[in-house]
Amino acid sequence: MTAPWIDGDTSGAALATAAGCGVAFGAALERAGLGSARKLVGQFYGSDATVFKVMFTAIVVAMLGVFWLGWLGALDVSRLYVPETWLVPQAVGGLVFGAGLALGGLCPGTSCVAAASGRVDGLAVVLGMFAGVLATGALFAPLRGLYEATPRGALTLPAWLGVPYGAVVLAVVAVALAGFAVVERRGARPRAMVEDAP
Amino acid sequence: MTRAWRRWLAGAAALAGALAPLAGSPYGRGGAGAVLPVASGSGSGSIDVAELARIVADQDDHVSVVELARWIRARRPGLRVVDVRTESEFRIFHIPGAEHVALEALAQTRFGTDETIVLYSEAGIHGGQAWVFLRALGHRRVFFLRGGVREWLDDVMSPAIAADAPPEALAAFAEVAELSRWFGGTPRWIDRAAPAGEAEVRLARRRGC
Repeated sequence: MTAPWIDGDTSGAALATAAGCGVAFGAALERAGLGSARKLVGQFYGSDATVFKVMFTAIVVAMLGVFWLGWLGALDVSRLYVPETWLVPQAVGGLVFGAGLALGGLCPGTSCVAAASGRVDGLAVVLGMFAGVLATGALFAPLRGLYEATPRGALTLPAWLGVPYGAVVLAVVAVALAGFAVVERRGARPRAMVEDAP
Repeated sequence: MTRAWRRWLAGAAALAGALAPLAGSPYGRGGAGAVLPVASGSGSGSIDVAELARIVADQDDHVSVVELARWIRARRPGLRVVDVRTESEFRIFHIPGAEHVALEALAQTRFGTDETIVLYSEAGIHGGQAWVFLRALGHRRVFFLRGGVREWLDDVMSPAIAADAPPEALAAFAEVAELSRWFGGTPRWIDRAAPAGEAEVRLARRRGC
């Protein structure tokens, strides 16, 4: 039997799967402590690398899982949805997203986790997020030109770089492990100093 | 999580990553029919001539450039646009989102059964031949682009209509003009009464800075 086991047009099953994935994602974020705005903002100030470690770990685990499950025949990789690339709108969206993350201290997923944990700042960010969605919908007509600009199709790193899938997997794993080693070393120093202090 | 446990996980990830380049592609292994089989090496297949003749007669073998433009703009799920021209021609210009696959490499390329494949070439001939190749290999949701890149450049990037065309033709052209602008093209309404060359002058002015 090969995953995915549901078709995209069976909306009930797809929605149930999405809900299950969402709950699991939220639980993982909460367990990682990412419901705290301090932890997220700490990434911007270089004082806390939890976001980097959690997100890069998730990327590496998912990437290795997809690659090897596909290789073993347990997952049909060709049926996985690859979001299309739209250069300018995604760059603008990334900037807006980053500014909101730095200001609010939470991103969409972690704001839901924070709100579910009873944090008022999380609730405020969730409300702000919905206000932004409504405002974007209301202003969609003038924004449409930007929204639909510079389409590049469903780009993947192997296709874009013209290198084998496995080489990209190796490169991402190497970058992740090197990054983890660096942040662990940087994070260990002050802790050791505190522990050594009288 | 203990330090030893973290190191063990990092080692497992490093090993899985190091073996990945040696393992080959993860596409099309298993898949229970989701990816069509291709005879190893030879790329051999078979053709049901009567079925292909019916498809061609019904004009279900191709799409127009405007139809493809609509599909791309609507982000049609599973759409895969394949340029079968040479690599250098692809580099000079290609339809947004297209990927380059040489004709000789088509048989070795994996396509999912839920993908809609649109093949194109410079003027459509190689695209049509590529369509026959993929049909012979068992692909069902495959089309070629009628008129190829040339028709794309003419009808999507710089479509034109006479300014005094019938109202219904002008109304239909409005949608094509919108599509054209979306792809960065320049639609033109040509005034046949104007002195020769004036329409082009007006076009050049519209480009502005």
